[in-house]
Amino acid sequence: MDIENIGFETINLGHGSGGELTRNLLDKIIFKTFSNPYLDQKHDGSVVKIEGEIAISTDSFVITPIFFKGGNIGELAVHGTVNDVAMCGAIPKYLSLAFIVEEGLKVSEFIQIVQSVKKAADESGVLIITGDTKVVERGKGDKIFINTTGFGLVHPKANISVDTIKEGDKILVNGYIAQHGMAIMSEREGLNFESTIESDTTNLNFIVTELLDKFGDKIKLFRDPTRGGLGTVLHEIANDISKGIFLKEKYIPLEKQVAAACEMLGLDPMYVANEGVFLVIVDSSIELEVLALMKNHKKGENAAIIGEITSEHPNKVVMQSSIGGKRIVSPLVGEQLPRIC
Amino acid sequence: MLKTYQITISGQVQGVGFRPFVYNLANEFLLNGTVSNNEEGVIIYVSGATENIQSFYKKLTHFPPPVSKIQHSSITKIDFIDYKNFKILPSNKKGQLNLSLTPDFAICNDCRKELKNKKNRRYYYPFTTCVNCGPRWAITETFPFERNHTSIDEFAMCDDCLQEYKNPLNRRFHSQTNTCPTCGVSLKLVDSKENEIEIVNETIFNKIAKLLLEGNIVAIKNTSGYLLCCNAENETVVQKLRLQKNRPNKPFAVLFPSLKFLKKELTLSSKELKLLTSTESPITIVPLQNYHGKITINSVAPKLNQLGVMLPYSGILQLLASKLNFPIVATSGNIHGSPIISENKEAIEKLKSVADYFLQHNLKITHPQDDSVIKISKKFEQEILFRRSRGFAPNYFNPSINSNKKILALGADLKSSIAYYPNEYLYLSEYLGNLENYDVYNRFTSTTNAFLAIFEQQPNIVLIDKHPNYYSNLFGKELAQKISSTLIEIQHHKAHFSAILGEHNLFNKKVLGVIFDGTGYGDDAQIWGGEFFKYESNQIERLNHFNYFNWLLGNKMSKEPRLSLLSLASEEMNTVLKQKFTQNELKTYQHLKQNNQLKTSSVGRLFDAVASLLNITDYNTYEGEAAILMENLITNYDLKTCKNYLNNLENEISSTQIIKYIYQDIQNGVSKENCIANFLFTLASTILKIATTNHYKHIAFSGGVFQNTILVDMLIELVPKEIKLYFHKQLAPNDENISFGQMMYYLNIKN
Ligand SMILES: [Fe+3]
Ligand SMILES: [Mg+2]
Ligand SMILES: [Zn+2]
Ligand SMILES: [Zn+2]
Repeated sequence: MDIENIGFETINLGHGSGGELTRNLLDKIIFKTFSNPYLDQKHDGSVVKIEGEIAISTDSFVITPIFFKGGNIGELAVHGTVNDVAMCGAIPKYLSLAFIVEEGLKVSEFIQIVQSVKKAADESGVLIITGDTKVVERGKGDKIFINTTGFGLVHPKANISVDTIKEGDKILVNGYIAQHGMAIMSEREGLNFESTIESDTTNLNFIVTELLDKFGDKIKLFRDPTRGGLGTVLHEIANDISKGIFLKEKYIPLEKQVAAACEMLGLDPMYVANEGVFLVIVDSSIELEVLALMKNHKKGENAAIIGEITSEHPNKVVMQSSIGGKRIVSPLVGEQLPRIC
Repeated sequence: MLKTYQITISGQVQGVGFRPFVYNLANEFLLNGTVSNNEEGVIIYVSGATENIQSFYKKLTHFPPPVSKIQHSSITKIDFIDYKNFKILPSNKKGQLNLSLTPDFAICNDCRKELKNKKNRRYYYPFTTCVNCGPRWAITETFPFERNHTSIDEFAMCDDCLQEYKNPLNRRFHSQTNTCPTCGVSLKLVDSKENEIEIVNETIFNKIAKLLLEGNIVAIKNTSGYLLCCNAENETVVQKLRLQKNRPNKPFAVLFPSLKFLKKELTLSSKELKLLTSTESPITIVPLQNYHGKITINSVAPKLNQLGVMLPYSGILQLLASKLNFPIVATSGNIHGSPIISENKEAIEKLKSVADYFLQHNLKITHPQDDSVIKISKKFEQEILFRRSRGFAPNYFNPSINSNKKILALGADLKSSIAYYPNEYLYLSEYLGNLENYDVYNRFTSTTNAFLAIFEQQPNIVLIDKHPNYYSNLFGKELAQKISSTLIEIQHHKAHFSAILGEHNLFNKKVLGVIFDGTGYGDDAQIWGGEFFKYESNQIERLNHFNYFNWLLGNKMSKEPRLSLLSLASEEMNTVLKQKFTQNELKTYQHLKQNNQLKTSSVGRLFDAVASLLNITDYNTYEGEAAILMENLITNYDLKTCKNYLNNLENEISSTQIIKYIYQDIQNGVSKENCIANFLFTLASTILKIATTNHYKHIAFSGGVFQNTILVDMLIELVPKEIKLYFHKQLAPNDENISFGQMMYYLNIKN
């Protein structure tokens, strides 16, 4: 797409007024990019047909910086919601898309983001069927905020429920943790490493669908440990199921560079955000088959069995540390405050 | 006319030979009646001539058994009962416990002699005890202290032991821990694959001594938990122990074979000698000047000018010591950071990579405890407790508490301890360790549960630290919810202050509180640690604090003193920083420093920064290492020549300025020793200045920084006599006192 043809370089308040400028922005960028039969109706909303049980998930995306190694806020907004729908055991179909743009955002940046949204949506097999664009005064936003809502069809074989989780069930993750959070952090703090740390933002719906196709109700739970990291999500699960979770640190996939970055910044990777990571709890009878499937999938090459459900310490996540000793992985309240005296 | 009186005695009066003592005393004064233990203490009924009863009572309360502690006693006349003799009755507990528990006692001299007496039937029997000595809290399951309430109950007394138990003239008359080689605890020496090496008491200690001499590490199950031992004169084995235990630099304590041996190698003060031979027998940290023995000091206590020493305080250690002609390292049996181990199976599992041999025994330890640690300041001989554990736990004597509430205080996380007030007494657990370790956390929760079970009481009030990520905070929330009790969060340093106010009962005074430590979660969500509080009329207010500086990188900052320096350094120190950081680190950290939100007033981190600036250390491998190394670098100082780095400041207490002036001193060629002395003098002078400008006559100190004996001595020397100083005596100044402080805060502070 050529910026010259758009006729302006930065987005200003007028573009959100609903008048001529708005129409201009929408026609020249949004509708042109996402053109599909539903969106092309240009109604206040879209009428679509979904048969069966549906899963709906919404999320708002705010991130600094909006462009980072391995992605930008646009694809994040698609992947995040697609993944949340997938985690419900559903196959994502449609997305809504709403922008809140801060006055002054470069049109070129906006276009880049919109294109990323498009690419991510195409790759995930979802259609953008309705949307909205607002512009706020300078200082009242942080360049751009995005909200997406996803609609998906629940997988016919899925029976995702914490009620079925029992002692001995295994917990797997699909790959390296803490990549996204550390990529953002490195970008923000200007960190240098031998090779750059990239965000792992990606869509997880296809691998989830494959797992459900093959293992059905032997799969008990999917979760994507985004904000708060693996530690916080596992703690939530332990509480939801009133059972314990036992982990072995040495099995948790952590890329060397990311480990070094965490070490350098005094951060615990268990609490660092992820985007392309999901954990799955499965019946122990299929743990190895699940692992094999994941390892064969390009979204799960570094998959690992990281722990199991236990009745020993209800509501607690306990981790065997790789240097010896065990510790409780407690919920993170606020930031990573120092405890050591 | 014969009369009958009822006498009740409470305090530490069970498991200390009180009933047999009363029995003999009653006979001496020709009195009939009974004595028994109940939930409140000892209850005595005596009939006889009034004057005899009065003399009996006087002698009883003035000269009680050696290891007892009487808190209250009363005597009332009741209707005459015509007793025919004097009898010891079994315990008769009708209600909930309301008396002191009994701590562990070091082996007494009478028992010690029997160990070595070939003709005695307890020759070489390591569990030789009597009413005056031996383990108590370590083996307590429930209370009152009767054999069947302890783990010794597994060993039924043989006829000979029973005879002693029944004989009023015997030292073991009614001794609940009485056993002998025939009926008692047995030893087994095994290798790390559990192959049996030796089981005969008489030869086992020879064997161990030989193994130690040959450079082996032996895990020894003592009366309150496992100790890891090796020859302290053998550098290779000490280094091996460090490596295996994952404890690179933290000093080890050394067990000397005898007092004679110790005195030959080290010059000790009479106070130190008294401590080492007391019933508590703590590890005592003594100066190493003029040390002329063969201990490999550089590996036992790296870079230190002091050594933690102890003497054989149990039968096992005594028997081993009698075979040694060298001192041995004797350190808690655990991997660094885990709790002391007390079970044979667990010891093999967890320590097989550390120890070559294990001395096991089959007495179950219900309350494992580390050794207590004390140091005495050089100049003014202030006794400073570093760790309050075996010998002191689980009692706290003479708090002035008057509340009908049942209060549980869960302390802090790093040097965890629990305080419980379920009746008219206050109980204070042994040091439990860092709750970050799950095994320590389990010991913390099981100790809490043991307290609730022994006293058959649930707390109405649960007190926790405010830190939202403390494990004790989270556990307290769970517990309070489960038992529907009131939960109260108390700020860390206010708890420290309340601890020292409570220890000296200063609540009726106007007191300046000086609380210096490493970290605590502040009321403003920043990290406090250099606090001045005012106390008056049951109110605590933050009066002043060290100027805030950046707290960087979470827990990492406490582990790396160079980060504290970076936080406090001005631009002129960039050359210093360049030697301590890679370019990438420096760039990143300085960038972080610019945008950092979390601030601190920590004096602990200021010590770290000074240590880094003086090139003493850039990394802490154990808590407080930088500060301890600094303290150990000074032997003498002269207050008259010391310099106050904050002299020119009005009300600011600026860590940045301190660092700046030390840097200038270094540039001007001032020695490290003098810089450290100046730094400590600056702290002492600042405290004095704040006290005088605010007209305080009482200053109370708490927080880990006051483990620095030189700072304590300087304060005593510097502050004029009309201002009274209060330091911890019964408690450690570090976070071990938080549980007690939380209790005192709740009971006395009405903010
Ligand atoms: Fe503290
Ligand atoms: Mg969401
Ligand atoms: Zn004795
Ligand atoms: Zn016997």
